Amino acid sequence: MKKAVIARRFSQAFFLILFVYILWSTTYPLAGLLPPGTFFNIDPLLMIMTSLSSRVILPGFVVALGMLVLTLILGRFFCGWICPLGTSIDAVNLLRKQSSRKLSDAQNRVLSLPKFLILAAVGIAALLGRQIAWIFDPVVLMARFISLNLIPAVTASLNTFFIFLIRDLKFEGAVRDLYRSLKPTLLGVKTDFFSNAGVILAYFLAVVAVSLVISRFWCRSLCPLGALYALAGRFAPFRRVIDRCIKCQQCSNECRTGAIKKDLSYIRGECILCMDCIYTCPEQGIRFGFRGGASEPPSVAADDEPKGGISRKQFLVLLASSFAILGFRRTEGKSAAAVASGGGADIIRPPAALTENEFTDRCVRCGNCMKVCITNGLQPVMLETGYSGIWTPRLVPEIGYCEYQCTLCGRTCPTGAIPPLNLEQKLKIRLGTAEVDRSICLPWAEGKECIVCQEHCPVPEKAIILDREGPVGLGRPRISEELCVGCGICQNKCPVRPRRAIRVSPTGADRT
Amino acid sequence: MLNKKMSRKQFLKLLVSGLAVLPFSNQIFGNAAHSAQDSAGFNGRPKSGVKGDYDLVIAKGEDPFNMTVKAVESMGGMGRFVKKGAVVVIKPNIGWDRSPEQAGNTNPQVVAALADMAYKAGAKRVNIFDITCNDPRRCYANSGVEAAASAVGAKIYFPDDWDVVKASFGYASPMQGWPILKDAIECDTFINVPILKHHSLTRLTLSMKNLMGVCGGNRGLMHLNIGPKLVDLTRFINPDLTIIDAYRVLVRNGPTGGNLADVNMMKTIIAATDPVLADTYASQLVDVDPMAVSYLKAAAKEKFGSLDTETAKKIIIEV
Repeated sequence: MKKAVIARRFSQAFFLILFVYILWSTTYPLAGLLPPGTFFNIDPLLMIMTSLSSRVILPGFVVALGMLVLTLILGRFFCGWICPLGTSIDAVNLLRKQSSRKLSDAQNRVLSLPKFLILAAVGIAALLGRQIAWIFDPVVLMARFISLNLIPAVTASLNTFFIFLIRDLKFEGAVRDLYRSLKPTLLGVKTDFFSNAGVILAYFLAVVAVSLVISRFWCRSLCPLGALYALAGRFAPFRRVIDRCIKCQQCSNECRTGAIKKDLSYIRGECILCMDCIYTCPEQGIRFGFRGGASEPPSVAADDEPKGGISRKQFLVLLASSFAILGFRRTEGKSAAAVASGGGADIIRPPAALTENEFTDRCVRCGNCMKVCITNGLQPVMLETGYSGIWTPRLVPEIGYCEYQCTLCGRTCPTGAIPPLNLEQKLKIRLGTAEVDRSICLPWAEGKECIVCQEHCPVPEKAIILDREGPVGLGRPRISEELCVGCGICQNKCPVRPRRAIRVSPTGADRT
Repeated sequence: MLNKKMSRKQFLKLLVSGLAVLPFSNQIFGNAAHSAQDSAGFNGRPKSGVKGDYDLVIAKGEDPFNMTVKAVESMGGMGRFVKKGAVVVIKPNIGWDRSPEQAGNTNPQVVAALADMAYKAGAKRVNIFDITCNDPRRCYANSGVEAAASAVGAKIYFPDDWDVVKASFGYASPMQGWPILKDAIECDTFINVPILKHHSLTRLTLSMKNLMGVCGGNRGLMHLNIGPKLVDLTRFINPDLTIIDAYRVLVRNGPTGGNLADVNMMKTIIAATDPVLADTYASQLVDVDPMAVSYLKAAAKEKFGSLDTETAKKIIIEV
C-alpha cells in the first residue's frame, strides 16, 4: 500500500475538485460554500507581487504569507499536494510511458534555473510598479482554463446533448424535467461564450503538454510560484530521510522533478513531496520526517543547498532586472490604442474599474469577473489595449450588457481591480455614455416606429428621451448624458443589424 | 499495465470523437422532424370558445390573492377553464429585474392564486414562464413570482428558446414565420396575466403586449407596426382567460420603472375571456383612450374582439 502516494493523490483530487467547484459556483447568485477568490487569496505570488506593484496590502496578503510560513516548515507541499495545475500535469503524465528520459544532474540544474529568473523578473517588475505575475502564475492560468474554456465547453456540450435527446430523439417527461432543473443549477441558464478563448486554451494545453516530454517541466523550470516556494522551502525541517541505501539510484531516476541527484543527495527546493521515492526504493529505506536516521546518504557530504549561493543570486537579479527593464517597462498608457483614443483605451471596462494603468496592473487575469458576469458581456481583451491589457475584462454590449442592479464582478475580483460595490453605489456608477447613430436609427433614418432602447433603459427616470417633435410625431431617441450610466442594454437590444444604431463609448466612465 | 494504459487512451479518443460529432447531430437527425412545420395553414392554439358568466369582472380590494380568487369565481370558477388532467400555462409578465413594489412585473400573489385554483380544478400541471428582457434568473427571483408560484406547486422554469414553432396563419400575416414557444401552444388552457403599466410606444402594456413574452427571435423588430402584429399574435395564442393585474400600476417611465413615486395603488384586478375587452377596460381605468393604444386600434380595425365596455355584461365586486 502506497499510503503516502494515495494520500497525496487524494489531496490533489480533492483540491482540484474544490478548485473547479469554486469556479463553477462563481455565478449568480454566488451561493458557493467558499468565496470565489479563495485560491487566489492564498497564492503568495499573486498577493505579494500585486500588493507590491500597487503599493497596497491586499486582503489575502496575510493568508498568502501563512502559506509561505507553512512552506518554510514543510517544503513545496503546495506544488505536489494542492496546485490544480500541478494536478492536471500529473494527470496528463499518466498517459505517458513510465520510463522517461533520464536527465543528468547538470541538465536538471539548468532546467531548474529559469523559474528563478522569471520570479526575479516578476519581482523587479512589481518593485517598478508593474504586476506581471499573471503571465506565469499557475493558479490563474488554471482558473482561466476552467472558467473560460472548460466550463463553457462542458455546459455547451451538455446543453446540445439534451437538445438532441429532447428535440431529435423525442425524449420528453423525465428527461425534459431533468434538463429544466439542471438549467438554473448545474448547466446554467445559458451557455457562456468567450471571444478568443482559443488562445487561453492553447496556452494551457502547451503548459500541460510539455510535461509529456519532460515531467513536471512547468513546475520545475518555469513556474514563478514554484520558485517562490522553492526559496521558502529550501531549508524546510520536514525532509527526506534515508535510513538504508544500496545506491541503486532508482529514486533519482524516477524523481518527477529531478530533485534527487545521482549521488542521492537531494535539493529540497525542487522536491514537491510527491512521496514516490518512498515506494520506488527497493530497500524501503526512505521516509519523510522532521528528524532521525542519517539525513543524507552515507556516501556523500551534505549538499542540499543548490550550488552558487549568493553570487549566483546576484547574477540572477542582475539578469532579471535587465530583462524586466527591457521587456516590461511600465507603458504609461502609451499603447497604440490608448494614444489613438487620447489616453485610456477605447473599450468599456467593468463598473468602477480602477483607472486604466492601475487597472491593468492590479488585474491578475483570473477570469472571475468574466465567469460571473450575468449577461456574459464581460469578455477577455486581446491586444486592443496593447500587451499590458491582455486578458483583462471589457464589456462587449453586443454580447451582453451590464445588468443595472448586478454587483457580481466587483464582489468576485480577488484584488480589487474592480472594487466591490453595494447596490446603491452601483446604480450611480457610469461605464460610459450611449450615443444614437442617427444615420441608421429606425425612427431617425427611416421614419419607422421603434422605442426598444428607451423601453429597456433601466434608469428609473429614463436616460433615453423620445422626442415627439417632427412631422409624424414619431418618438426619436435622444440620450440624456446626465442620466446615462452606459450599461449598454440599449446597444444590446437595438434591433438594427449588423451595426447597432445606439452604441456606448467609454466617455465619462467612472474610474476610481 | 501496458494494456490498461492503451484502453484508457482508446477510451479518451472515443470520448473526444464522440463529443466532436455532437454539434452536428441536429444536421444528421434533425431535418426530417422539422420540415413538416413549414406547411401552410394555422398552427397556433385553437380557440376554446369557453365563456364566463360575465364578459368582464372587476375586483377591488386589499388582498391581490383573494381578489383574483373572487374574480375567477365570478367568471364561473376555474373549473370552467381547466379540465381534469389539463396542462395549464400561466403567462405573467416577469420581464424585468424589479421588485413587486416597483410594479414592473405581475403581482406574484395574483400568479399564485391562479396556479392554486388551476391545481384545485384538477390541472395535471401548471407551467409558468416568460422570455425576460433582463437576466432571467434575476427577474424570476426579484419579481417574487418564482417563490410565490413554487409555493403553490406550479412549475416555473426558464423556457427553451430552441423549442419553438414557426407561426403560420394561412394568410399573409406580419407575424408569419415568427418563432413562438412550443410550450405556449401545446397546452390545454392558456391564462394570460399581465400587469397594467405605462409603455412608451403602445402607451400601455396590457394583455396583448404581454404575449410578446412567448416570442423568440429579434423581438425588437416587433415594434415596427406593432398593432397588427399583436392582434395576430393574440389570435395565434388564443388565451382562454385574461387576468389584468392593476393592483400596483406604473404610470410613468414604463415599462421598466424603478421609482416608487411612479407607482399608483389602484388595487384592481380585471378578468375577461376576451383579451381585447380586458385591455380596453384597463386602458379606460387609467384614462387612456383605447384608440390611442396601437394594438387596440388595430383590433378595432380588424373587428377582433370587442372594445365595447359599455354594453358588455360586467360586474364590479368588492373583496
